[in-house]
Amino acid sequence: MCHRWPPLAKLLAALAMILAATCVPIAHGPLVGIVACVIFFAHTLARIPLAYVARRLLFFWPPLFLMAISLPLSQAGQKGWLLFATILVRGTLSFSTALWLVNVMPFDQLLATLRRLRVPDVLLAILSLMYRFLFVLWNELERMRTARAARLFCKPSLWATWRSAAHLVGRLLIRALDRADRIHGAMLARGWDGRSRWIEQPREDRP
Amino acid sequence: MTESKVSSESSAVHVDRLSFRYPGGPAVLSDISFTIAPSEIIGLVGPSGAGKSTLLQHLNGLLPSKLPESVGQVENLPHVCIDNLPVSRQTIAEVRRRVGFLFQDPDDQLFCPTVFEDVAFGPLNLGLSDIEARQRVRDSLASVGLAGYEPRSTLRLSLGERKRVCLAGVFACQPSVLALDEPFSSLDPRACRTLIGILKKFSGSQIIATHDLDVVVDLCHRVLLLDAGQLRAAGPTADILGNAALMERHGLEVPWRLR
Repeated sequence: MCHRWPPLAKLLAALAMILAATCVPIAHGPLVGIVACVIFFAHTLARIPLAYVARRLLFFWPPLFLMAISLPLSQAGQKGWLLFATILVRGTLSFSTALWLVNVMPFDQLLATLRRLRVPDVLLAILSLMYRFLFVLWNELERMRTARAARLFCKPSLWATWRSAAHLVGRLLIRALDRADRIHGAMLARGWDGRSRWIEQPREDRP
Repeated sequence: MTESKVSSESSAVHVDRLSFRYPGGPAVLSDISFTIAPSEIIGLVGPSGAGKSTLLQHLNGLLPSKLPESVGQVENLPHVCIDNLPVSRQTIAEVRRRVGFLFQDPDDQLFCPTVFEDVAFGPLNLGLSDIEARQRVRDSLASVGLAGYEPRSTLRLSLGERKRVCLAGVFACQPSVLALDEPFSSLDPRACRTLIGILKKFSGSQIIATHDLDVVVDLCHRVLLLDAGQLRAAGPTADILGNAALMERHGLEVPWRLR
C-alpha cells in the first residue's frame, strides 16, 4: 500500500526512518529494536520479499564489514567493538530503508520530488544521468563478457581471469568516456547551454 | 567542382571548401563544397571511414571544436552556412535550432529518464514556456506515431521506438534541416519502413548518411559520394548509384532496385 502514498510522503518517511536509525544510540537496545521493527513493517506493507532484501544485503555487508572492522583493531577494549556494532547496525538499517524507497517510488518520481525540495540541479543531473546510463553500461559489460566467454576454450588460470577482468574494466572505462563525449554532443545539438531546465510531466499523462 | 560556384541564395545548407583533420591525425575531410536546396533530400554515401559522420557534425557546429568567433570572420574562409547563416560562435545557438541532428546510437541521444523529459529537453532549452513545450512534446510524439508515450521510461523501448523518440526530440525544436547519421542501421524492415514514412512527411531539407542504398533510391533526390574525405561525385540518385564503375571504384554496390 505504500506504493500509492503521495511521493513527498514516501520520501519524508524514508528520511525519517534513516534519521531514526542513525540517531538512536546503539547502547539503547530496545529503541534500536523498535526502529528496526518499523523498517521491517514498512517492507511488509510494501510487499517487498525478505529474500530480495537479504540478497541485496549480502552485497552490501562485505564492504561495510571491512570498513567497520578497522575500529576494534585500532581502538582497544569495548569502545572499538561498540563502534563496530554501531556501524553495522546503522548501515544495515539505512540501506534497507533506501531499498524500500527505490521499491515504492519510480526513479523519475523520486527525481521530481527531490527537485521540488530544491535539491541542487547538478546533483539531480548526476543522479538522472547515472540512473539512465548504468543500465547501458551494464549491457555493454555483459556483451563484452559474452564475447570473452565465446572465445574462452578452456578453464583459465586465476591469473588469466584477473588479467582479463582488468582489461574488461579498462575497456569499459574508455567506452564510457567515449559515450560521455557523444552524449555531450547530443545535448549541445539540442541547444543545451549548461543550465538545467525542467517542467513537470502533466498529471494526466501518468500511468 | 561546379557546385562551389552556385550562389548560396536560398540554400538550406551551403558548404564551402570545407577541410578538417583531428589534431595530429590525417585529413578526414578535404576541400568539400556542396549546396542543398530547401526541402531537398540528400543521400550521403561512401565506404566506412569516408568521413560521413564528421561531415554531418560540421553542419551543426559540433565540429570543429574551435568555431570562428563571428560571422564577419568567415567570409573568405572555408565555411558552412545554414539558411544563409554562417556557422560561427555568434550564430551557433540559432544554427543548432535549425539543424536537427539524429545520432547513430539512440542511447547517446536519449539521456533523460522518461520520454516526456527527453522530448521536452530541446524546447525548454529554446526558452519556450511550459505550455508551449508540452504542446510541442505532444505534437512531435504524434508525428512519429508514438502519441501517449510520454510517461514511458527511455530504458524500456525497442530500438525502433528509441530512434523515433530521438526523432521526436529533434522535431520538437522545429528544425529546417535534418542531419541523420545512419538512421536505418540495425532496424528491422518494418521499423525501417515506419522511419522512411516519417522522413518523407518532413517538409524541410534532409541529409542522410547511410549504407542502405535501397533506401537512398527510395527517399533521396540527390546523392553525394564521399570517399577518403573527398567528394568524389554528386548528382541525381539514379545517375550516381546506377553507375556501376563509379560505385565499384569506391567500394560500393549498385543497389538492387537500379540493376
